[in-house]
Amino acid sequence: MGSIFSRILGRLWGDKEVRILILGLDGAGKTTILYRLQVGEVVTTIPTIGFNVETVQYKNIKFQVWDLGGQTSIRPYWRCYYANTDAVIYVVDSVDRDRVSTAKEELMAMLEEDELKDASLLVFANKQDMQGAMSAAEVSDALGLSTLMNRQWSIYKTSAVKGEGLTEGLDWLINIMQK
Amino acid sequence: MYSFLSGLYKHLTRREAYYIVIIGLDNAGKTTLLERIKSIFLGVPGLPPERIAPTVGLNIGRIDIGGARINFQDLGGQTDLQSIWERYYRECHAIVFVVDSSDPERIEECKNALEKVILDDTVEGVPVLMLANKQDVPTALKLEEIKEIFNQIAERLGARDSRVLPISALEGSGVKDAVDWLFLRVQRNKVNRPPIIISQ
Repeated sequence: MGSIFSRILGRLWGDKEVRILILGLDGAGKTTILYRLQVGEVVTTIPTIGFNVETVQYKNIKFQVWDLGGQTSIRPYWRCYYANTDAVIYVVDSVDRDRVSTAKEELMAMLEEDELKDASLLVFANKQDMQGAMSAAEVSDALGLSTLMNRQWSIYKTSAVKGEGLTEGLDWLINIMQK
Repeated sequence: MYSFLSGLYKHLTRREAYYIVIIGLDNAGKTTLLERIKSIFLGVPGLPPERIAPTVGLNIGRIDIGGARINFQDLGGQTDLQSIWERYYRECHAIVFVVDSSDPERIEECKNALEKVILDDTVEGVPVLMLANKQDVPTALKLEEIKEIFNQIAERLGARDSRVLPISALEGSGVKDAVDWLFLRVQRNKVNRPPIIISQ
């Protein structure tokens, strides 16, 4: 009953809660992005084994953000979190040219999952503060984003440590979510 | 019996689906057009224009018209993203090229971008609709002026269906006519580019 009330009240005040997964290879900067969004600061992170989950309030939307560990051995567990996901934020280390093909394989495998059929895709080409970072066009090419026919996607250049590009990406997500 | 019924159900629910790409230079009004199409054909309020940010990627709008499904794919227009357009040509049934009529300085750039599109082999024979957008701006180039510019490359269009129509995505004028034109053309071009059959 309580949940019905809170849902109705949420409607009235336009407070919508959406479920977002932050995924990507290890060392891409997922956890740094999560906490940059939540507390607005760069926190020192250690490789995530398991997950971090936080609620991020941005404009009138509450994002329930799941940051899942990216190491090879734990990627198979990503799928346990796919159900009811509204959008996936896929974080790529734009400097790591060697592993961008692995990033592509993981992304494409993930998007084939039925539970993510309707999820929108936001890609963060992260670590733009570093020298030799790939451009947004290069990253989208390397990931094969232009092969996506039936899914809304968008890519933003970000620097989690400087806090650049993140809100632009979230603005896009909000626009998509409000429809 | 079951397979007969499910087969019948599938037959009855099968529909034709078409893909139409919306391209054009950045700030031409492609996403505003997409939102306007959605609001006209789906009856839902689209995104208010002031909230639309430059597209870096793909926005999708699906509408149902005359028993068919049309998928509009709105692609980002910034120069380094134009390479993405080509990837969507292979599957598309028509191309919409949006022109900012209120920006005469970029008309030449527009013409070159469009020329590149129609010379691409993968879209040979695919109907092209040029939309002279932002007709609500008083100083905007008129339809005739836009036509004059594009007539210079018209001979490259070959035998395909093409047209220039005036619209204002912001106010909605001309948008329905544009979609109607497209729907008729993708159907006429069926033999050349058959629709995708979906069941839904």
